[in-house]
Amino acid sequence: MTVRRIEGELPVAFRYTPGVGNTAFFEALRDRGTFLGSRCADCGVTYLPARIFCERCLAGLVPDTECGPEGTVESWTVARQDVDGRPLDPPVTFALVRLDGADTVLLHRLLGTADIGGRVRAVLRPERTASILDLQGFEPV
Amino acid sequence: MSPRIGVTGVGWSGFTPTTAGRSYKELMFEAASAAYLDAGLDPRTDVDSFVCASEDLEEGTSIFDEYVPDQLGAVQRPVQTVASDGLFAVATALMLIRSGAANVVAVEAHSKASDILTPGRVDAFALDPVLNRPLGVPALALAGLEMRRYLHASGRTVEQCADVATRNRDQARSNRRASFADVDGDDAPLFDPLTTHQAARSADGCVVIVLASEDRTDGRPTVWMDGIGWSQDAPSVESRDWSRAVAAERAAATAFAQADVGPADIDTAEVDDTFAYKQLQHLDALGLAELDPASVNRSGGAIGEGYLHEANGLARTLAAVEQLRAGDGRAAVVQSWRGVPSTSAAVAVLRMDR
Repeated sequence: MTVRRIEGELPVAFRYTPGVGNTAFFEALRDRGTFLGSRCADCGVTYLPARIFCERCLAGLVPDTECGPEGTVESWTVARQDVDGRPLDPPVTFALVRLDGADTVLLHRLLGTADIGGRVRAVLRPERTASILDLQGFEPV
Repeated sequence: MSPRIGVTGVGWSGFTPTTAGRSYKELMFEAASAAYLDAGLDPRTDVDSFVCASEDLEEGTSIFDEYVPDQLGAVQRPVQTVASDGLFAVATALMLIRSGAANVVAVEAHSKASDILTPGRVDAFALDPVLNRPLGVPALALAGLEMRRYLHASGRTVEQCADVATRNRDQARSNRRASFADVDGDDAPLFDPLTTHQAARSADGCVVIVLASEDRTDGRPTVWMDGIGWSQDAPSVESRDWSRAVAAERAAATAFAQADVGPADIDTAEVDDTFAYKQLQHLDALGLAELDPASVNRSGGAIGEGYLHEANGLARTLAAVEQLRAGDGRAAVVQSWRGVPSTSAAVAVLRMDR
């Protein structure tokens, strides 16, 4: 038989350092259940999650600005398949939500139905581990 | 104005859903041989430098740039890889020539997507590992999110997007490289409002383009690469512009200024249509929203030809070169985007004197 394919895989693993800004964000989320961003006064932009630099003017920033927990839906979509292309039953709705006080969005699950401009509120898990999954998603207000 | 740079050779292979039995090296060899024949040169003596475009994870090999010289005639020669779309490799080639470091440069990009057994995993690995990847969100969902926001902000409609997909497939019927003029099955939701018929489907293929300084074009009728620009919007999902193709806007401004032309001078456009809405968004960014739809992606675009990963930009360039050579216009714009989840785009202006 003709040899037409040789299969292989890439079993690699990584550890990702969230960094100072993300760590401040995750610790505020875990310990106080709040959303911590950072504001560049010169650009008039509040980044969420917090960052230690402004991507517009490259000024140094500090994590000092609380946002949310309510916000506005900027967009949404429905995932009917997972990253492996397997059917999701039920489908999962993902949304971009701009929390009040922030100029950037968070990508997360939409727990219910809301269109662009719709108001939503963050739903936190009772037991939190300093991860983006401490947030369950956003539910319509 | 500095000496012009001409496209003296083009070659391609594949452009089919699968290329069973042939390796990526063999696809590259086939495309490169055709390009060198078209340019009338011997790569072992006449090409000064080689630039490829590839991503390790899509190749299944680390340091993939080490695997490209032999099939291009580039062994023991200057060769480098740009980790981006092929049109960015064209930009590098132009810089090599404009700087005087080379007179003749071969540019290559390819796709052997049919060898990727878990494409969703490759795409997901491109998402931010701290903020986005833990959600288990497929990277393609970003296209659904962006499409809905773009339609909301622009006033365009789902029906207009569907028309783009239909027209591109119709235009693909006269393109011998197009495998997707006809699609099987009903149109189905992919990531709402994006549907399956509005998304380009993966294909295998390779494109090689030879660029040369004006004095190496030997006075032959030549398609000139008169302008090129590239840019990236804020990369993060959190802070990027979800309505506009900002990188394409910036890249176009640079390319048009270099070529000293404006959108009104453009006769034909080959732009990224990975998703139908992206064609509309990219035309907005290029100032070409009013261009006759029959003059946009005459090749059928990626919807008609297939999604060739890092070779998409070279596929669009190849189509534009063929159109200009055939007399279908005097000035063309080519635009590429790196696909989800990227915010990078490149734009080139090509002209044929008559």
